[in-house]
Amino acid sequence: MRDLFRQPTFIVGFVLLSLVAIAVIFGPWLAPYDPQAFHPRARLQPPSAAFLLGTDQFGRDLLSRLLIGARATVLFGVGATALGVAAGGLIGLVAGVSAGAVDAVIMRILDGLVAVPDLLFALLIVTILGNGMQNALLAVAIAFTPGLARIARSTVLSLRGRDYVLAARARGEGPAWVILCEVLPNAIGPVIIEATIRVAFAVMIGATLGFLGLGAQPPSTEWGLMIASARQFMARNIWTVLVPSVAIAMVALGFNLLGDALRDHLDPRARR
Amino acid sequence: MTAGWLLRRLGTIVLVLLIVSFTVFGITQLLPGNAAVMILGEFATADQRHAMELAMGLNDPWYQQYGHWLGNILRGDWGMSAGLSRPVASLVGDALGRSAILAGATLVTVCLVATPIGVAGALLRGTVFDLVIGLVAYLGASVPEFVTATLLLVVVAGPDTGWLPAGGFTPAADGLGQFALHMVLPVATLSLILVAHLSRQIRSEMGEVLGSDYIRAAQVKGLTRTRIVLVHALRNALAPAVAVLSLDVGYLLGGILVVEEVFAWPGLGRLLIYAVQNRDLVVMQAATLVMAAAYTMSNLAADIIIAKLDPRVHYA
Amino acid sequence: MSPVLSVTGYTLSYRTRSGLRRALSDITLDIAPGETLGLVGASGSGKSSLAWSILRMLPGNAQEGRGQIALAGQDLRMLTRRQLAALRGRRIGMVFQDPSTALNPSMRLGDQVAEVLIRHQRLNNRDAAIQAEAWLARTGLPHPRAIMDRYPHQVSGGEKQRVVIATAFACRPELIIFDEPTTALDVITGARILDLFAELRAETPVASLYISHDLALVGRIADRVAVLEAGRIVEQGPARDVLRAPRTATTRRLLDAIPDPAHRLSGPPPPAAPLLALNDVTVTYGRASAFGQLLGAPAPVQGARHLTLALNQGEILGIVGESGSGKSTLARALTGIAPFTGQVVFANRRMTGTDRMDRAWHRDIQIIFQNPDASLNPRHRIRTILGRPLRLYAPASPAEIEAGIIAMLEEVGLPAAYASRHPHELSGGEKQRVAIARAFAAAPKLVICDEITSALDVVVQADIARLLIALQARHGTACLFITHDLNLVRQLAHRVAVMYRGDVVDVFDATDFATADRHLYTQALLSAVSRL
Repeated sequence: MRDLFRQPTFIVGFVLLSLVAIAVIFGPWLAPYDPQAFHPRARLQPPSAAFLLGTDQFGRDLLSRLLIGARATVLFGVGATALGVAAGGLIGLVAGVSAGAVDAVIMRILDGLVAVPDLLFALLIVTILGNGMQNALLAVAIAFTPGLARIARSTVLSLRGRDYVLAARARGEGPAWVILCEVLPNAIGPVIIEATIRVAFAVMIGATLGFLGLGAQPPSTEWGLMIASARQFMARNIWTVLVPSVAIAMVALGFNLLGDALRDHLDPRARR
Repeated sequence: MTAGWLLRRLGTIVLVLLIVSFTVFGITQLLPGNAAVMILGEFATADQRHAMELAMGLNDPWYQQYGHWLGNILRGDWGMSAGLSRPVASLVGDALGRSAILAGATLVTVCLVATPIGVAGALLRGTVFDLVIGLVAYLGASVPEFVTATLLLVVVAGPDTGWLPAGGFTPAADGLGQFALHMVLPVATLSLILVAHLSRQIRSEMGEVLGSDYIRAAQVKGLTRTRIVLVHALRNALAPAVAVLSLDVGYLLGGILVVEEVFAWPGLGRLLIYAVQNRDLVVMQAATLVMAAAYTMSNLAADIIIAKLDPRVHYA
Repeated sequence: MSPVLSVTGYTLSYRTRSGLRRALSDITLDIAPGETLGLVGASGSGKSSLAWSILRMLPGNAQEGRGQIALAGQDLRMLTRRQLAALRGRRIGMVFQDPSTALNPSMRLGDQVAEVLIRHQRLNNRDAAIQAEAWLARTGLPHPRAIMDRYPHQVSGGEKQRVVIATAFACRPELIIFDEPTTALDVITGARILDLFAELRAETPVASLYISHDLALVGRIADRVAVLEAGRIVEQGPARDVLRAPRTATTRRLLDAIPDPAHRLSGPPPPAAPLLALNDVTVTYGRASAFGQLLGAPAPVQGARHLTLALNQGEILGIVGESGSGKSTLARALTGIAPFTGQVVFANRRMTGTDRMDRAWHRDIQIIFQNPDASLNPRHRIRTILGRPLRLYAPASPAEIEAGIIAMLEEVGLPAAYASRHPHELSGGEKQRVAIARAFAAAPKLVICDEITSALDVVVQADIARLLIALQARHGTACLFITHDLNLVRQLAHRVAVMYRGDVVDVFDATDFATADRHLYTQALLSAVSRL
C-alpha cells in the first residue's frame, strides 16, 4: 500500500477520484442552487461570483447540475461494470474450469458477441429495453459481459496451470477448494484491475448514450445529456459544454490512472 | 501460414457471423411491436395487419423465420428500408464505403502518429517529455468521442473561426480538397483515443524489448543506437502492438457511430443510429452484421500482419 | 607480457530505495593474452556486475567508485559512448548464458553474425555473409549455409549457442566474456559447447573471462580462478591450487556444494519389498476436445510411453534425462494431474487411470515441485500451506494441527514464527523447505521430487539435498528423485533410471554406473558429465 502512494499515477488518480467521490456523496448538500431552478435573467452566463461555473440555456446553475449529476454519471459506470464483472466472471469461471466441449461452445459464442462493438451492442439492447437510465445501465453491463468473460476465462486458465494449483490437485483437494481457495484469491487482482479501467469506459459509454438521447432523459442532470442539450448553444457559451466535458474526463482519467497504477503494482514485471 | 489455416480461420469467421446474425435476429424479435406494424404504421386496421403478417411469415415459428431471413441475406436480398424506401443492400453498401474511408484514414493516422510517440516515450522513459506525453495520452484516453467532436466543432468549425467544415461528406469525385477537408475533424476525433492507447502500448512493449537480453547482446556487438532501436527493437515491439490495435478496431467502430452522427458523415454509423432511433429493423440487422464482418476481417488481417512481423508465429 | 584486461581497485555500488548497496569492492585482477580467468561465486556475489562494468553497460542506478578498468592499457572508464560502441564487438565480445534470449527472435541467424562484421570491419553485405558463414562452420555447425537463413526458434539450443559464439569471435576480439555459457543447455550439449570453447581458445590468442557458479567446471577449463563473495575477491590463484588447497571458507563451501559421486549421502538400499510398479504406462497431454479438434486444435502429445519401472519401500530411485524426456510427465501421471494408460500398482492397489485415485492414494504419493515460488500459493500463509495436508487426510483438532505445523517447521529447520509469514517473505531455500515439509506432513509412502534443487543457488542445493535424505531416512519414505544432474543422483539414489525422449532406456544400481553394457545415451551422458 505504501508502495502505491509512491506512484504519481496512483496519487493523481486517487486525488481525482476523491474529488469525484465527494461530489457523489455530498453533491446535494454542496450544490448552491436547485439544479432544475430557472434563472431567466441569467441565461448562458460565463462563470461569475453568483454562478461559479456559469449557467445553461435556461439559466440553471451549471455547478449545481454538475454536483447533482455526479451520482447518475458515476454510479452508472460503477454499477454497469459491477454487473458486467459479476456475469462475465461467472461465465468465464465456468468456461475456464469446465474446459472441453462446454468451454469450446461458450468461447465460440463469446467470440461472436465480442465481434459487435460495445457501444453498438449497448445501443441494440437499449432499443429492446427502451430508453432510460436503468435500461442503459443494463445494456452496458450486458455489452461488457462477453469481453469480461473472456478475460476471466484466460485468467482462470493461466492460473490452472500454476504449480500451486497442480500441487493442490496432486494433494487430492476437491474442486471447491481448488477453485475457491487456490484459483479465486489469485484471480481477483487481475479482475479488479480490468474492472477499474472498465469503469472509465462505462462512464464514457453511459455519457455517450445520454448524448445520443438513448440513456438518461431530460431534465436529468446526467453529464452526457448536459452536453447534448447544450450543444446548440455552445457557440454562445462554451462553458455549457466545457464544464460537463471536463467532469466526464476527470472521472474517466481517475479510473484509468488508478487501474494502471494497480496493474503496475500487482505485476512486478511492469515495475521498473 | 498455410492454406488450411486460412480456410479454418475463414470458417471461424463464418461461425462468428452466424452467432452475430442469430443474436441480432433475436434482438429484433424481442422488440415490442412487430415489423408489420412498423411498415403499416399504427393506424392500420387489424385485417391489413393480419394480411401483412401472413405475407411476411411473421406467424411462423422463430426458427423458420430465422432460416428464411438468413437465406435472403445470403442470396443478397437484404430487404427494403421501410423508412427510407430504398433497398437495404444499396443503402448499406454506400454507407460502408464512406465509413471505410473514415476508418482507413484513422488507422493510417493512428499508426503514423502513435509509433514515433511510443518509441520516443520508451527511449526517453522518465524524462519530462515522457511525462508530458503520458499525461496527454491519459487525458486523450479519458475523453469520449462525442466530447472531443463537440469541442472541436466549437473551436475550429464554430461561427467565429470556421476554419474547417462543420460536417457533411463530399465525394472525392467532386474535388479532392473538399473531400480531405471534410475528413479532418472526424479522423482527428477518432484518432485521439486510439493514438493515446496505442502509443502507451508501443511505449510499454518497446520498454520491455529494450530491456531484453538480445538488445543487450546487440549493444555488446557495438551496433549503433539507431540500428538497435529501428532494426532490433522496433520490429519485435510492433507485433504485440498490432494485436492491441486489432482489438482497438472494435473501439474504432463504436466511435464511428458517434463521430458520424456528430459530423453528419453519411456512413454506416449514422445509418445505424438512424435505424436504432426509428426502429428500422432490416437496416439495423444488415448494418450490424456488416460491422461485425468488418471487425472479424480486420482481426484476420492483423493475424496475418503479426505472422509477417514475427517469424515465431506460424499458423498451420 | 602486458595484460589484455586489467582491473585495479574497482568499486561499484547501486543506489536503491534503502540507500547505497555495495556490489563490488576493491576488485583487482589481470588477464594475459591467451589466458582464461575463471570468476566463481554464488548468485548475487557480483559476477555479472563485474562483466557489465567491463563492458561499460551498467544500469542507471549504478554508482562507480574508485578504480580503473583497462583494456590493453587504455582506461575504458575514460571513453565516450561513441568510442565504446566502436570498441564493443570489435575488441570485447561476450557469450551469454541463455542463447534463446540472447538472439533476436525476428532476425535471421546469418544476419545476426554478419552485422558485427558490417559494423566493425566495414564489409559489404556479401563479404560479411561469406565470413559469417565461415565462422559458423568454424563453430562446428554442420550446415552453416542452411543455418544462415533460419530464425532462432528454428534451431536447437546448442546450435543457437554456437551462433552466439561465432558472433563473439567474428571480429577476433582481444577479450571475450563467457557468462555461464553452458548453464541453460542440456548436459550433453553443454559438454560439446565446452569442447568448442577449448578448441577456439587453442586456435586464437583471445583472453577469456569465464563466469560460473560451478567451481569444479571452472577448475578444469581456466588457467587461473578468482573467487568472489559479496563483491570481494576472496581468493585468486592458479586453478589447480585453488581447487586442491582452498584457503578460504567461501571456496571450501563452493567446493563442498559440488555433488561428488564418491561421497554418498544416503544409506544402503532397503530390503526388496515392492511398493510401486509401473506396467506399460503411457502418458499423453494436451488432449483436445472433440469440438476443439474440429477447429484444428493440436493432437495430443505423448510425454512418456510404454514405461515399465519398479520401486521398493524406502528406496530412492533417481530418474535422469534431459528436458522433454518425459521425467516430469511421469510424476504428473502418478499424482493424478496427467491422464495415463497402462497399469500402476502402488501399495497393492491397481490403477488403470487417474479417475479412481482417492484421497488415500493422494495422501500416500506426495510431490515436490522444482520452483517453490510457483508451487506455494502466494496468497496463503505458511500456516495454511502446512496445515492443509494435516486437515485434509485425517480428522484433527485445531490444536493438533498447530502442533503438527510447528513440528514440521522444526523438522525442516525453520523457526516456528515462520508459520504466520507469506511465501514471499522467505528466501528461495526456505520456501523449498516449506514445500518439503508440506509433502512429508502427509506421512506419505512415496515422495516424488521433481528437480527440487535446480531453481536454487549452488550452496543451497546441497543443503536441500541433505535435508531431503535426512527426512527420507527418518520416515522410511520411498523417493522418486527426478533430476538432470547426474552427479547429484549418484550421490543419493539407490538405483538410477535413464529416460530419453519418452522412454526408459536404462535402469541400474547407482554404485555400478560405468560399465560397458550401458545404453548409448547413458554412455554419452556419462562422458559429458566427466567433461563438465
